[in-house]
Formats: sequence, C-alpha cells, structure tokens
Amino acid sequence: MYPLSKQLTDAFSRRFARAVRETYREDEAYASTPLGRLALGVFLLFLVLLPFLLSPYPMYVATLVAIGALSALGLHLLVGGAGQISLGHAAFMGVGAYTASHLYGPLAFLGILLGGGIAALLGLVLGLPSLRIKGVYLAIATLAFQFLADYVFKNWEGVTGGIRGRTLPPAELFGLALDTPEKLWYLVLFFTLPLFFYGKRLLMTRAGRAFMAVRDNDLSARVAGVDLVRVKLMAFALSAFYAGVAGGLLTQLYKAVTPEYFPLTVSIQYLAMVIVGGAGTVLGAVLGAFFVLLIPEVLNSLVGALGPQYAATLAAWRNVAFGLLILAFLILEPLGLVGLWGRMRNYFRTWPLPY
Amino acid sequence: MGVILEAKNLHLAFKGVKALVGVEFRVAEGEFFAVIGPNGAGKTTLLNVLSGVYEPDEGEVTFLGQNLRGKSPQERARMGLARTFQGLEIFRGMSVLDNVKLGAELALSTYPLALPRAQREWQIRAWAEEVLDYLHLSPFRHAPAGMLPYGLQKRVEVARALASRPKLLLLDEPMAGLSLEEKQDLARFLLDAQEEWGVTLLWVEHDLRAVLELSDRVLVLSYGEVLYHGPPQGVRQDPKVAEAYLGQA
Repeated sequence: MYPLSKQLTDAFSRRFARAVRETYREDEAYASTPLGRLALGVFLLFLVLLPFLLSPYPMYVATLVAIGALSALGLHLLVGGAGQISLGHAAFMGVGAYTASHLYGPLAFLGILLGGGIAALLGLVLGLPSLRIKGVYLAIATLAFQFLADYVFKNWEGVTGGIRGRTLPPAELFGLALDTPEKLWYLVLFFTLPLFFYGKRLLMTRAGRAFMAVRDNDLSARVAGVDLVRVKLMAFALSAFYAGVAGGLLTQLYKAVTPEYFPLTVSIQYLAMVIVGGAGTVLGAVLGAFFVLLIPEVLNSLVGALGPQYAATLAAWRNVAFGLLILAFLILEPLGLVGLWGRMRNYFRTWPLPY
Repeated sequence: MGVILEAKNLHLAFKGVKALVGVEFRVAEGEFFAVIGPNGAGKTTLLNVLSGVYEPDEGEVTFLGQNLRGKSPQERARMGLARTFQGLEIFRGMSVLDNVKLGAELALSTYPLALPRAQREWQIRAWAEEVLDYLHLSPFRHAPAGMLPYGLQKRVEVARALASRPKLLLLDEPMAGLSLEEKQDLARFLLDAQEEWGVTLLWVEHDLRAVLELSDRVLVLSYGEVLYHGPPQGVRQDPKVAEAYLGQA
C-alpha cells in the first residue's frame, strides 16, 4: 500500500507540482512549471470569459480597473523601475484620450495606438529634464507639464472641444459596434495583455536591469556600462505610451472625453496605486489599481445599502475612509499589497510545517 | 608583455587644488598594479580619470592602444575597463543575481542581435552563475544586494565588475572595512581572476601589507605627484616615500 501511494504522489510531483526548477534555463522561463502554466491558462480563460460571468455594472467596473491597471503599470515602469517620479501621468492619459477621440468608429483601434505613440513622443520631451534633475525637482517639472496639458485641454477648442470636451460614437470592429463594456472588454484585453506581458518581461531582462540600475545608483550604472540618457528617455516614453493607450481605451469606455477626466488628482491617484501596490513588481501595479479603483466602489455600495437618507452625509465620509485606508495600509504593510501577497503565499507553500 | 594602460602627463586641478600633477605610469598586461598614497593624494581622482568620471585638464590615457579622451564611462566599460568604488556602489534594490547579470551583459553584448531574447537571457544567467559560484555568492543569488552584510556587498561589487569580463579592473579600496579573513578571501579571488581569466588589476589600497605582498608593481602618489613607481620591494627603501607616507622616523 505504502509503495503504491508513494509512487503516485511522486508521479504527481514530477508531473504537475514541480515547484523546484532544475536548470537555470527553467528558472528564467516564464511560468516554467506545469502548475504555473496551468494557473496562467486558467487565469487567461477566466479573463476571456469574464463578460459572461458579470452583470453590466460590475463589468463596467472591471473594464475600468483593467484600464487603470494598464496605466498604473506604465507609471510603475517609470517610478518603480527606473526610479523617476512623474506627476504628469494623467496628462499623458489625456493626450492619448484626445487623440483617440478623433479616430473613432472603425478607426478606434488605430486611434488608441496613435494616442499611445503621441503620448510617448511627449514623454520623450518630458524625459529631457530628468537628465538634469532628480527627485522632488523632477516632480515639480512634471507637475508643470500636468498643468500645461490641463490648460491646453481646456483651451485648444478646435482639437479638444474646450471645457465641454468631445463625444464620440462607439468603436467598431468589422462592422460590430463595441458599445457595451462586455464587448469593449475584448478590445481592452487586446491591448492590455500584450502590454502586461511586455512590461513583465522587460523588468525581468536586460532593459529592466538597466532601469533598476539607474534607480538604485546612477553613477555606478554609468560605470557598469548603462547609457543613462537612453534609459531615462526610454522609461519616460514607455510609461507615457502605456498611459496614452490606457487613455484611449478610457475614451472608448466613456464615449466622451473632457478635461475633467485628467486633472492632477488623477496623476496622484496613479502614484498612490504604485505605492499601495508595492514597489518592484508588475503584480504590485495591478493590485494597487484594484485597491485604489475598487475600494471607492465598495464604499459606494456600502453607502447605498444603508439607505438614501444617509447618502449625503456618508458621501463625504467616504473619501475620509478611503484616505484612512491608504494611510493604514502604508503604515501596517510598507511593502504594499505585494508584500502581503508574498507572505500569504509563503504561508501556504510551507503550510503544515512552516519551519 | 604588452602595455594595457598608459597614462601620460596627467594634470587635473579643482579650483586651485592640484589633484594630479603630471602623473605618468604604465600598466603591463596581466599584472597586479597598486596605487597607494596618503589621504588626499589623488588616488581616487586618478581612478575617476581612468574610468571617465572626470576628464583630465591635460595629458592622456591610452587603453589597449586607444586614446580615451572624450570617451564616456559606459564606452570605456564596453572597451573592457571595469571598476569598483570606494564606498559601496552596488544596486541595493536589485538581487545579487541581477547585479551580476547587469555586469555580465557587457561581456555578451558583442553579439546581442544574433540571439533571441530568451536564449540570451539564460546564457547571461549561466555566465552570471559561474561568476557567483566563483566568488562563493551562489547561496545569496536571490537576496536583495542591499540586505547583505558589508563584506558580502563588497564581494557583490567585485562580482559585478568581473562578470563583464574586463581586461582591466580598477578597484578602489576593495579591502577597506573587511576582516582579516575576508581580506584573505578577496585576495585569493583577485589572484585567481588574474590567473584564470587574464584580468589585469589596478587597485588603490590602504592596507600596505596586502599591497606589498600581492602587487607586482606599485605607484606611490602624494599631493597628486608620483613619488615612486616600481616593484613593491623598493617602496620601503625609498626615502621620499618614507617621508610622505610611512612617516618620518
């Protein structure tokens, strides 16, 4: 009896549960264990089937979160990766959004890409001050860009529609209008998944190491052969590209764009996502986006559940609760959601015998 | 043996402070070359000039027959000139493995286009592991470099520099702050690297005993001037050195 059960569990371990990677090559690969591949497959399937599982409003929120996560990942590459700070992230999203608003209907696909491209070009320009200044000073420079962009959005009426903004018909794909969040979800996935894969891979390989070297010690990075100028400009452009694409997708979701969507507070919100999520990983950006975008929804529904007579008073407290949550989080778990996740994973991995 | 590095008539002044005054020396291929001198003698300045952090006011540095004037630190790194720093200048937030991989990339960057990404990645990994194994750092490969004890962090820096397969490695006080045992380990690693990989070593060091025991030739600087240039046996006998550096007896 014993040998049989041992044989079976051994076979199982070899086949599926091989958590130990035996060669360096496997260790470098993406989702290298069979179990990891399985989990990845299930997760992708879940994403594809999501519209069939959720009712319209949660689906709308899910789309919003996915777009937010994409943009947060862009900022994460810049802040967590290359260590450059930016308070102008919302402005790049705005650039992408306004560009996309001009190429609607069947051209939506192109518009979103172009929005990313134009944002990336502006990102290159904004990257220039980072070659000279660091930290707080760079934050002020990017802040200036944010205000400038805000001004342009409000006043360049011919292109942006001024204060009233622009509305646009839904995106179309082969004559099929993507007019609901369920349908739009696939457009979002189409852009988001490859960009996530790219972002993750980037941070794990050569370019990512160059980014992190600049973050940790730029003098040493130069002497180790890293081209500072290229890395910084590339980080800004890449981050802006992600933001631009996210902005374009957001336009398709709202079917409108006004300057109010991209104020400074949104830039700060994205920084909050990166910080709450935890530095250093792609997962952190996603979890941060979840947290920052979902908690208000949860608080909303809580307020709603208590009844309309309290709604007005509680609405004000909602923001306070949200702020307190973020604060508590940073104090209790400085590594962010990723740190929490890592501890949970280690707990379960070693579960019956933790030592 | 050929000359790998040659400095001719180097002058550098910072607003009246003369850091280097007509410094001249040659480093032969494969040798263990030491630069010593009292504090403020211009040793670190000399390394900064060699690695391209500063440009000299006058004079020139020739490395592998090429004039280095105007070449940026990263260009010099690509030519095979690696360097470690006096303070710890490792990438603290990155894992030990990533630190070494970053160095290793320079070694393999001559044919990056021929290799698909994933393949290149594990080739770099294989070489980085070899270096880690060599410097006895393998058990710490996934630890964030900034969390390691001081002696190991120093070793990580040496590993990163060696991973780029440099032809010439500049070391700025690699032994400062290490225990005797760690110093012995490091000395062994350096001598092995010199022997097995043919790395030429140029080091700045305060530990005179280590310098005189390990180095093939010694350059003594004081206030930016060369006091002595020759084999280590002659250092103690030289009257100028004794006066400036070892103290007047």
